[in-house]
Amino acid sequence: MDYIKHKVPPVREDRLMACQAYGGTCGDLSTESKKGCLYASKRTFSQTQGCQLNLSLGMISSMRDAVMVIHSPIGCGGNLIQNAGINKVFQKLRQESAVGLRWINTNLSEVDVISGGEAKLRQAVLKAEREFRPSAILVFNSCVPALIGDDIDGILDDLQKQVSAKIVPIHCEGFKTKIQATAYDSVYHGLIRNLVGEDNTAKPAVIRTPEEEIEHQAKISKTVNLLNVGSMSRIDEEELVRLLKALDLNVRILPSYSHPDDFTYAHEAALNVSICATHDDYFVEHFKQMYGIPYVLRTIPIGIANTNKWLRDIASFFGIEEQTEKLIAAETAELKQAIEPFKAEFKGKTAFLTGGEVRILTTAELLHNLGFEILGLRGYHFDKYGEILLDEYLEDVPNSEKAIFNIGSGQVFEQANLLSKITPDLFVGHIGVNGSAAKQGYPIFPLFGQSDDYLGYKGVYEVATRVSRILKNASFNKNLGKNTRLPYRDSWYEQDPFTYIDDSASIAARIG
Amino acid sequence: MSKVIERPRYVCALGGAIGTIQSLPRAIPILHSSSGCGGNLAGALSGASGYNGGNYCGGQALPSSNVSERDIVFGGEGRLQEQIENTLKVMDGDLYFVVTGCMVEMIGDNVHAVTKRFKGEKLPVLAAETVSFKGNSYYGYELVLETLFRDFVEPAPVKDAGTVNLWGVVPMQDVFWKGNLGVLKSLLKKLGYETNTFFGQGETLENLKNSGKASLNIVVSDAYGIEAAKVFEEVHGVPYITVPLPIGDHGTSRFLRTVGKALGVDEIKVEKLIQEERKAYYPYLERLADVYNDLDFQRYATVVGDPNYTQAVTRFLSDDIGWLPELVVITDILGEEQKERVLASFGEYESGLRPEIVFDEDASSVVGYINRHWPQNQGQKYHKGFAPGVIIGSVMERDTAEQFKVPLLPVTYPISNRVVLNRAYVGYSGGLTLAEDVLSLVVAHR
Repeated sequence: MDYIKHKVPPVREDRLMACQAYGGTCGDLSTESKKGCLYASKRTFSQTQGCQLNLSLGMISSMRDAVMVIHSPIGCGGNLIQNAGINKVFQKLRQESAVGLRWINTNLSEVDVISGGEAKLRQAVLKAEREFRPSAILVFNSCVPALIGDDIDGILDDLQKQVSAKIVPIHCEGFKTKIQATAYDSVYHGLIRNLVGEDNTAKPAVIRTPEEEIEHQAKISKTVNLLNVGSMSRIDEEELVRLLKALDLNVRILPSYSHPDDFTYAHEAALNVSICATHDDYFVEHFKQMYGIPYVLRTIPIGIANTNKWLRDIASFFGIEEQTEKLIAAETAELKQAIEPFKAEFKGKTAFLTGGEVRILTTAELLHNLGFEILGLRGYHFDKYGEILLDEYLEDVPNSEKAIFNIGSGQVFEQANLLSKITPDLFVGHIGVNGSAAKQGYPIFPLFGQSDDYLGYKGVYEVATRVSRILKNASFNKNLGKNTRLPYRDSWYEQDPFTYIDDSASIAARIG
Repeated sequence: MSKVIERPRYVCALGGAIGTIQSLPRAIPILHSSSGCGGNLAGALSGASGYNGGNYCGGQALPSSNVSERDIVFGGEGRLQEQIENTLKVMDGDLYFVVTGCMVEMIGDNVHAVTKRFKGEKLPVLAAETVSFKGNSYYGYELVLETLFRDFVEPAPVKDAGTVNLWGVVPMQDVFWKGNLGVLKSLLKKLGYETNTFFGQGETLENLKNSGKASLNIVVSDAYGIEAAKVFEEVHGVPYITVPLPIGDHGTSRFLRTVGKALGVDEIKVEKLIQEERKAYYPYLERLADVYNDLDFQRYATVVGDPNYTQAVTRFLSDDIGWLPELVVITDILGEEQKERVLASFGEYESGLRPEIVFDEDASSVVGYINRHWPQNQGQKYHKGFAPGVIIGSVMERDTAEQFKVPLLPVTYPISNRVVLNRAYVGYSGGLTLAEDVLSLVVAHR
């Protein structure tokens, strides 16, 4: 993969042929996906979703000592407002002196649309530098400047000569893609181009004696970049660091909640360890291409099976299989005993999951392992990485071919319809769609949370205890179910949930 | 040239329009915009507004045409037509309202031409071009009201002397909008009037449709809803007054006198109502006679936020509870004419207070104004600063309050560190609630 020399990364519809509209079963999806034409389907009725700009902010607005410039009319990045007074808490878990969320919106007006927004962009970047003296200024480009043709890279190149903060342009114009996850590529693209590597014009290169160099290289040979995600908690990070340290590895955590300087030496690592292919494939492929650093990308360490797979992938790279098997054996023996009581409790219960493809398939396996029967899944989108995990899931979880698989970002009308028909005992959801399921009365376990643990072996136990607690009293949601109404006609629930998915183009693509 | 803004406390016209429509009973917004617009704004409309949720149809339930690059090239009108047709089939509402984002404006889609095709059908489909680079949330609120007044409110040649309409309390931007509208409605009831607030508890679209028969429109703001009032007057011949948002005895008594005068209510009747309300109000404050004075509850205050609340809170602090709100920072984007009207609402204090009022949209500027008003100790032995102080603002003032080691009560948007349900700060009852909240902060902060 080599897109880094381009100003703008490709969208995922093109790069990964990602699908954003599908309704069927896990078994069908596994078959259909291999034909490679699902990307062409669309909806003739749709609800709003997110765009790559707001997911870009979700991924990297947590960066410490950075100021974000959102080059747009005043509404873009609006979701930041709800985090304005809160975000600092999570940053402080990484660095006591963290200052929290700072952003500037260029407030593009009608005049700017006609005469160009360049002057406002300049103003915003200079203001960020003057007011806050940050280490980095992240500039998020939006639909409007892209359409009026603002040359943001040209302006930012020029501004870089005037400011000491490192400027990172992020091309995340919402209208370019319906696959929000393109955001991850856009952000990584900007970070790789602008933060990775020493800037020898600013400070002299590090000089080491031969002995020091050997020591340095030895350290690098045992260092991994652990790629975290914005939805992950500090406790999750600690669990993964615990496991990697048990294998005698040094861990550098990127990119969420990182400091801009953390990227400078990111290429001094033996291995990139991803926990989510949706999030990281662009980054790890480029690091392999540019710096020859291999990667682990298959799965997220959620549940025993996938945590084991994740550790084994890392072990086989370092040739430490024996040590790893010992760790796995000790951890799983202890954990299996701890979760045994939950298995009886959850036996015969059913669940439905919705969220990112990687996270839902692995969390489904975790719940299956705890005794749940999985009735269905909804993925935000689906691509080759989902395909690999889906096939592993079909293998790990017997009789799962018939479970529902629906693909759509948000599109809660389909979810509401499905839930009226398959009535699970537990709904596991991504933020944004939980309220809708709550109004149908379901007990809800959030798919992720920035304050809770989900990952690694500890995560399995903690998920079990929280699910158990939530199932003990679902009165709040039951009351909502009885006393509120979702905004859909009764007739909608009588229809096929996938009525508004139009796959004619995908069929045409397959035949043609 | 408009300014760049550091941490704006509002979103775009589209966001304001969505927030306004989703606060109407059984109204369904239809977004003709890029796929991310609704998702981008959802947090601002819910989490930042005291966890308002999406009401009946908001958040990810919002129908949206989700136009993308292909539509930008070929135009999005066909997609909009399809989206409206299918929205009518799936979504259960009594009013459908198309609002637009930047991209469809830039590609030149004619939404009115599309919605016109749905005219005469069973359910109304309205449209407004809520172009986001033309204004912020408040502009979106105005546009939605103007459209409703022109295209939804039915002509009523005969007026009803006992009915008034009231707006200017902007849903979401006023985090306590629903509670506040309820209080104002019951106050006017005591004065003998039925009030349509459009968005408050128990309102119906039927009331809105018939609001043309009102005898007066009361705009409870010196900044917002005035353009809509002009449209209402032009289309339906109903005059309007503007009156500041009232909190506590002094604010609310002025409110009742202004409204009473405009409606031609007998002055004696108005004064009688004020006396009755005071008889209920002061016995509560009376409870604090000891503690307020034993512990010296008087504070300096900095008030930060929109023009509606800042003037109301300043008057309440100054004249009802005897504080010193000497500094006011107004954070909205206002024109010169608006600024003049707003400034005029900060006067005639019983206490003789003359607050310093600044207009600045940037969140980080507040620190500088506090330091200018109450210069920091430069090592002097004898020094008078912002102490004892309190900040009444939004959650964005959290860091500022920490820096000055003073308590913060978030009252203005955004509020993400409180959950808000039916709490109201307006009227006499709201004054007591505000006194409770702000004085609790003082006792708890000891």
